Amino acid sequence: MKWIERKWVSVSILWVAAILLWQLGALIYGPDVIPGPWRTLQGGRELVMDGTLMQYIGISFIRVLVGWTLGSLLAIPVGLAIGRVRLLRIFAEPFLNFIRFIPPIAFITLFLVWFGIGEQSKIALIMYATFFIVVLNTLTGVLAMEEDKLRSARSMGASEWQILLHVIIPATTPYIYTGVRLAMGTSYMAIIGAEMIASNEGVGYLIWNSRLFFRTDWIFVGLFCLGFMGFFTDRLFGWFGRKVLYRYGVVGSAVRRG
Amino acid sequence: MSLPAQQNTIHIEALRKSYNEQASGDVRYIIKDVNLVIKGGEFFILLGPSGCGKSTLLNIIAGFVSKSGGHLRIDDVEVKEPGKDRAVVFQQADSSLFPWLTVRENVEFGLRMKKTPKPERRRISDSFIGLVGLTGHENKFPKELSGGMKQRVQLARVLAGDPAILLMDEPFGALDAMTRRTMQKELIRIWRETNKTVIFVTHDIQEALLLGQRIGIMSVGPSSNITDIYDNPLSFPRDEASPEFGELYNQIQSHFAR
Repeated sequence: MKWIERKWVSVSILWVAAILLWQLGALIYGPDVIPGPWRTLQGGRELVMDGTLMQYIGISFIRVLVGWTLGSLLAIPVGLAIGRVRLLRIFAEPFLNFIRFIPPIAFITLFLVWFGIGEQSKIALIMYATFFIVVLNTLTGVLAMEEDKLRSARSMGASEWQILLHVIIPATTPYIYTGVRLAMGTSYMAIIGAEMIASNEGVGYLIWNSRLFFRTDWIFVGLFCLGFMGFFTDRLFGWFGRKVLYRYGVVGSAVRRG
Repeated sequence: MSLPAQQNTIHIEALRKSYNEQASGDVRYIIKDVNLVIKGGEFFILLGPSGCGKSTLLNIIAGFVSKSGGHLRIDDVEVKEPGKDRAVVFQQADSSLFPWLTVRENVEFGLRMKKTPKPERRRISDSFIGLVGLTGHENKFPKELSGGMKQRVQLARVLAGDPAILLMDEPFGALDAMTRRTMQKELIRIWRETNKTVIFVTHDIQEALLLGQRIGIMSVGPSSNITDIYDNPLSFPRDEASPEFGELYNQIQSHFAR
């Protein structure tokens, strides 16, 4: 392997180049349009010192975690049922294919009317963002399963309930996992939208509200936080997949490293 | 625990299968007027060209596919669904084995479904893993095994359920010639040790002659049935270079050349 192909080398080069470019932009357009790295760091420190940053990150994270977990827990059995029961599938598929094109953000105002301004509307929104992705992936997994697996289980005397528990769910696990992992991404998108429109806490609120003070550096801080939050939760989830779900054929990272 | 050879006789009378028998007009049969008696403990071969309905017949005997008419009885009991008296070894081990289970867990699957106590399960899986020559590979996953070894796992897995009848659908079709030869010898050894009834589907005349005591020839579909039955009195192990073998081979070969 050449030295430039080493992971830490390529990652370092990428970051240094990005920061240089960023600094260059800041010099050209001025700090009010593009706050440079240093200025952003200062802004970040400000927000850390008065405690708002950690609080906002925590709030956004909890919202995502709760909505995403509840949404997934609801979606997995629904996906399994739709995948297994033909009659259900005939009715559910057109509906799924219609509603999945409506982005979560489009539901924000409606959810505010239905669930109020509090936490429920945000969690409902994230559940919505999670639900259809996980249902569709689970459904695909059930349909992709080989008939031979069901047949062999049946001829070895497994009951329908045992087949669901010991054959269908394990065989579908990689699909469920992928769905749940993708849903994490859409959950972040949904929460930021919701916090911008209808919240006075959270990272989305920070980004949206900073415009009032013309603090573009705080906006940058918010963007970085989102990037890191997504990155680390995805990594954590990837690690979980590799370690715990290895035997089900789950590949840990979206980009397979050789 | 093998049963007396006179038991588990399979009676097939005027069996037929169509996917549009209810439709008015042109009814197409996959198999029609199939009559056959297979004695307990016999090694029976279903030989015929691709697409002649061999697998359909096997799947009906397995209970996976329902018959359109006629009778299929095992010891005077009409067969309608899969049962633990019949076990199936599929052509594709990859689609029928459970990749999330180790070799041992695959072999113990049926026993676990029956809630056999763990020590008993262990004892049975040990003995059948030994019988198929996989001792030392118990903790490997199917993807770590070669094609031949996977078929050994399938064999051990079905034998662990102590079925009276083994239904084998071109189980060595996907193996290379050398592995196939080994597996054929192994199968004969295991059949003689366990005294099972075997119905073995193949389109390979040589394989049919190496394994079977009787060979049922299926005609080309549609509406195919068993046109001739050849006895193969040669003793095991069989020598494909012997003149008797060659004579039988030519006989069957000329049957298909007609």
